[in-house]
Amino acid sequence: MASLLQPDRVLYLVHGEKKIRSPLSTLYFCRYCSELRSLECVSHEVDSHYCPSCLENMPSAEAKLKKNRKRICNQLNENFRCANCFDCPCCMHTLSTRATNIPAPLPDDPSKTAMKKAYYLACGFCRWTSRDVGMADKSVASGGWQEPDNPHTQRINKLIEYYQQLAQREKLERDRKKLARRRPYMPLAFSQHTIHVVEKYGLGTRLQRQRPGAPITSLAGLSLKEGEDQKEINIEPAQALDEVEPLPEDCYTRPINLPEVTSLRQRLLQPDFQPAGASQLHPKHKHLLIKRSLRCRKCEHNLSKPEFNPTSIKFKIQLVAVSYIPEVRIMSIPNLRFQKECQVLLTLTNPVENITHVTLVGCEEGDPEDINSTAKVMVPTKELVLAGKDAAAEYDELAEPQDFQDDPDVVAFRKSNKIGFFIKVVPQREEDGDVTVSFKIRHDFRNLAAPIRPSEEGDAPAEAIWLTHHVELSLGPIIA
Amino acid sequence: MPLFEGLGSGGEKTAVVIDLGAAYTKCGFAGETGPRFIIPSEIQKPGQQQSIKVVQYNINTEELYSNLKEFIHTLYFRHLLVNPRDRRVLIIESILCPSHFRETLTKVFFKQFEVPSVLFAPSHLLSIMSLGINSGLVMDCGYTETLVLPVYECIPILSAWEALPLGGKAIHKELDGLLVEQCTVDSDSSTGQSLPTVIGSIPEEVVEDIKVRTCFVSDLQRGLKIQEAKFNLEGTAERPTPPPDVDYPLDGEKILHIKGPIRDSVMEMLFEQDNEEKSVATLVLDTLVKCPIDTRKVLSENLVIIGGTAMLPGFLHRLLAEIRFLVDKPKYRDALATKSFRLHSPPAKPNCTAWLGGAIFGALQDILGSRSVSRDYYNQTGRIPDWCCLSSPPPESVYDAGKTPPPLMKRAFSTEK
Repeated sequence: MASLLQPDRVLYLVHGEKKIRSPLSTLYFCRYCSELRSLECVSHEVDSHYCPSCLENMPSAEAKLKKNRKRICNQLNENFRCANCFDCPCCMHTLSTRATNIPAPLPDDPSKTAMKKAYYLACGFCRWTSRDVGMADKSVASGGWQEPDNPHTQRINKLIEYYQQLAQREKLERDRKKLARRRPYMPLAFSQHTIHVVEKYGLGTRLQRQRPGAPITSLAGLSLKEGEDQKEINIEPAQALDEVEPLPEDCYTRPINLPEVTSLRQRLLQPDFQPAGASQLHPKHKHLLIKRSLRCRKCEHNLSKPEFNPTSIKFKIQLVAVSYIPEVRIMSIPNLRFQKECQVLLTLTNPVENITHVTLVGCEEGDPEDINSTAKVMVPTKELVLAGKDAAAEYDELAEPQDFQDDPDVVAFRKSNKIGFFIKVVPQREEDGDVTVSFKIRHDFRNLAAPIRPSEEGDAPAEAIWLTHHVELSLGPIIA
Repeated sequence: MPLFEGLGSGGEKTAVVIDLGAAYTKCGFAGETGPRFIIPSEIQKPGQQQSIKVVQYNINTEELYSNLKEFIHTLYFRHLLVNPRDRRVLIIESILCPSHFRETLTKVFFKQFEVPSVLFAPSHLLSIMSLGINSGLVMDCGYTETLVLPVYECIPILSAWEALPLGGKAIHKELDGLLVEQCTVDSDSSTGQSLPTVIGSIPEEVVEDIKVRTCFVSDLQRGLKIQEAKFNLEGTAERPTPPPDVDYPLDGEKILHIKGPIRDSVMEMLFEQDNEEKSVATLVLDTLVKCPIDTRKVLSENLVIIGGTAMLPGFLHRLLAEIRFLVDKPKYRDALATKSFRLHSPPAKPNCTAWLGGAIFGALQDILGSRSVSRDYYNQTGRIPDWCCLSSPPPESVYDAGKTPPPLMKRAFSTEK
């Protein structure tokens, strides 16, 4: 019967931009808006970065600014890659540093040799080592390994500087035009219509203002003139080549050594080089992972904020729905028959410490939220009372049993903060597929996050508001 | 790049540059020399083994929206590791991208991720920027198609575009057909079995890997002989000696024997002229014929080839040789006076050249800011301007609360008051 406890048997409806139905365990509850939120209607944010193998925390951008810059300089890694850990370029596993002893001449006395430690990187999974690509062993355990530089970096930086200069010129021209237009006598000379014409057909010069989205005439006609700027940066436009290198002759006759040729996936891990030969695959620093925090879009409060420490799985703020909303679960289903009334046993669990009053209401005809139900349901009309969740109850033997007058037709059993109750289901459709019922559950919610009232009110408990949720249950197929 | 640039120096944060291709997506930050990640444009749904391609133009909006949302989510939170709300986005796209796809993508960015602004830039134009020249004939050999677009003095000559559906997808299909037809598989229990009996069909990833590691493009003479031997009905033409066979391991248990002739002949489909006498090389010449006469010399001496399919070994050499061979044919001899063709080598691999152009453009923060579509503009108009659609209002009028908006273009043509 474990299939009755599957999370997607009971779905709660979330009102957002889209109506989403999902199990309560995947939902969040915004205390400030008093509404359920799903992952799709919250905004996700990056909270902190950490390395998955050495579990070192990378400080976030604001932390970097506040702390001493010089100290952070060594750890600062804009690339979001760990400074200490490497990935195997062949199988993407984490590399481990191994040490060997090699004889090396002493610095004082070149004739004598002593054993020195040399470190190299090795993969425990595919047996790749850093010596395979010709990287020399280093004498320090960490920090000695460098990634190769992109040979085109200088050219690209020069191009960026050149275009930035062009961009500056365009900005100056644009500002000058804007300034010119603001002169006070302009509106008298130009009527409303003329301004529109001018806007519509442009100024007829090459410096036409760009509409967003129009094909970018990227800085057309704005080449630098000689001697205009003091610090002009001229770049040589790239030279086109007449001839391209042909394939080497032995390509047609030489048999390939397949392990020596890199696969596409290995090549794409190094976008700057994309080497074809396995002897040029250099290890890259390990990519970091992030911890995410969630924020309600309407009230901008955090719904979930994890701990900063990568080794901790706790949360600083954790507004999950299961700790605020009573949860409905299916306990047992009899054989469902077409057009016959069956009694289904459900449980209702109270997650908060106060007593909660729950009323169940069936869906009316033509309810826009009720699209999936294939059976009529009769829910108990009386209000159900749930005891508060008491963590110490199981240890406290002397506790007085709380006396709720339970109607035995409605309430099957009661156990601390949980009750079992019956609903009557009449399947309406004889077809393959699950019988689905839906109803609304209305409960009182005490908002402890309400702003602190002035103390003249005394120690008044927080006001209770009534929340209604639409619940759908999937009860399984009809057994004829 | 100085290490602290953009860290509170007063400037805004570097923009995110994404090149969403049909097969692979290149993503990274503006101002850098290469993309941070090149990942397949696919998402994996839980419970399904087959991954779903993100760039599909024929599915309905709902599905496309949810696919794109999930893909961009992994892009930001698994690969780029930054907050979407902080940084502008520059999307590099093909000019033939359907408006419906663009609109859905914009909606994902603005509604779901709340980015400050989005700019769509054509890939051909940005490749020119990565070279520092003003004009060039750009050929993008990608997955779905090969698209040629000339750019003269930084303006694309839109009327002269040419395209053919000869790209990675067509090559994979052809290679798959040849493998199934001709090759045998050895498994641990049997040898020499034909392919369909051992495994149902080869997954496309494996076909792509075989293409990348074993196949190449022969040079012109050899290629012409292979084509002759293939189409020769009498059987007199002889094929040049094929390269040696390759044993390709599948799954660790089975070995696929790839026949030698497949390795060099599968790429000929790019250069075989079909019934309309079009091949990848004729695209360049046809485009030149369409361009204005005074631009042709400049364009033909500034050829730029980008795209993943162009990285096949021997492709560029063969392409240049084919172009020079074809320009002497009667069809082009009289139409084109220019006979000199030169090829550029951009400072990045061909599959990242468009991305690099985008990164260079994205580093110009003011320009990027003034030309992007901001979130406010999108919220007010609800659509993104497209080069093929003239009815979008200019942005300034959207902000002027006091003035009446200027007449839209359609009013100029209609008789309504």
